[in-house]
Amino acid sequence: MTPEGLRIFRLLTAQQLHPGNCGDLGWLIIMAAIVSLSSVCRRGVKPLFYQSTLLARPLVVPHKYQEQPYLLTAKIHASQALHAGSGSKAASLHWTAERVLSILLLAMGPAAYFSPSPMVDYSLAAALTLHGHWGIGQVLTDYVHGDTKIKMTNAGLFLLSTVTFAGLCYFNYNDVGICKAIALLWSK
Amino acid sequence: MALLLRTFARQGVCISRPHYSLLYRHAAPMGTTAKDEMNKFWSKNARLNRPMSPHITIYNWSVPMVMSITHRGTGVGLSGAISAFALAALVLPESYPHYLDLIHSLSVGPFLIGLAKFGIAFPVSYHTLNGIRHLWWDMGKGFKIPEVYRTGYTVIGLSIIASIAVALL
Repeated sequence: MTPEGLRIFRLLTAQQLHPGNCGDLGWLIIMAAIVSLSSVCRRGVKPLFYQSTLLARPLVVPHKYQEQPYLLTAKIHASQALHAGSGSKAASLHWTAERVLSILLLAMGPAAYFSPSPMVDYSLAAALTLHGHWGIGQVLTDYVHGDTKIKMTNAGLFLLSTVTFAGLCYFNYNDVGICKAIALLWSK
Repeated sequence: MALLLRTFARQGVCISRPHYSLLYRHAAPMGTTAKDEMNKFWSKNARLNRPMSPHITIYNWSVPMVMSITHRGTGVGLSGAISAFALAALVLPESYPHYLDLIHSLSVGPFLIGLAKFGIAFPVSYHTLNGIRHLWWDMGKGFKIPEVYRTGYTVIGLSIIASIAVALL
């Protein structure tokens, strides 16, 4: 499927794309039908572009649809990817950064166990705090509504995360450090 | 949704012209963002003091649902615990070994100590393993229902085993 076709596909299935949905095959067939239909009613589209990629099961369009007296207007939110290049990629980059951080944090587990050191301690402090900050941020985005409330809770979260990071660094510097702390706790 | 499909069916899909901001002829982009629409929805319903429709009280719980909210719950819980620990480190006067000895002197007994260790280990291992499952989904894999359940049960099983193993260390 072409990149653009994929984006339209994602737009169409946006509200249904969560784990557990098996309707993808159905959408694919509908998509194939639409695309082959688009080549039938050529309106300045490059039809051959899409012809080969999907199963050609042409959908027969009832005549009724061809002569609608009024215009069917779909109200859409133009999504980031579909928009004409304007609009920031901030949200997308944030998403990717969250996943990268998660993988980094995963790697720090064995590192902390097999070769504890001050560097691992401080990296762990930073990664844990940031992962937690972004995670709680998502929870707040889900459950908190209204512009002022969102701002207030996000400010509170920022404060909390700052204090957490400061506290962990303080602990690493002035006390035994995270790795040693867990080792001591477990030896009890 | 059907509306969208019919507009597609009518005139073909102008996907190949990205320099147009209106992608299809009879689609009108809304003047507001999704965020604005969301805020409008919430403020209107809050203003009219409408009760919220029952959702979690009536919907049948499924394993994936429970696992998802547990993932969130363990995440929030662990985050809170880390923040509490950090705050304590800043506020409490004595050093960490001092407080550890204090707890040790309470002589709780091995079973309860094991239980406490399990209580710490389980949220960590569950959140970590389910986190890996999330990353798997983020790569686009494992979305079929049987796969969701299979990976789900694997995560639960491994979490329990790992937590017991770590608690016995």
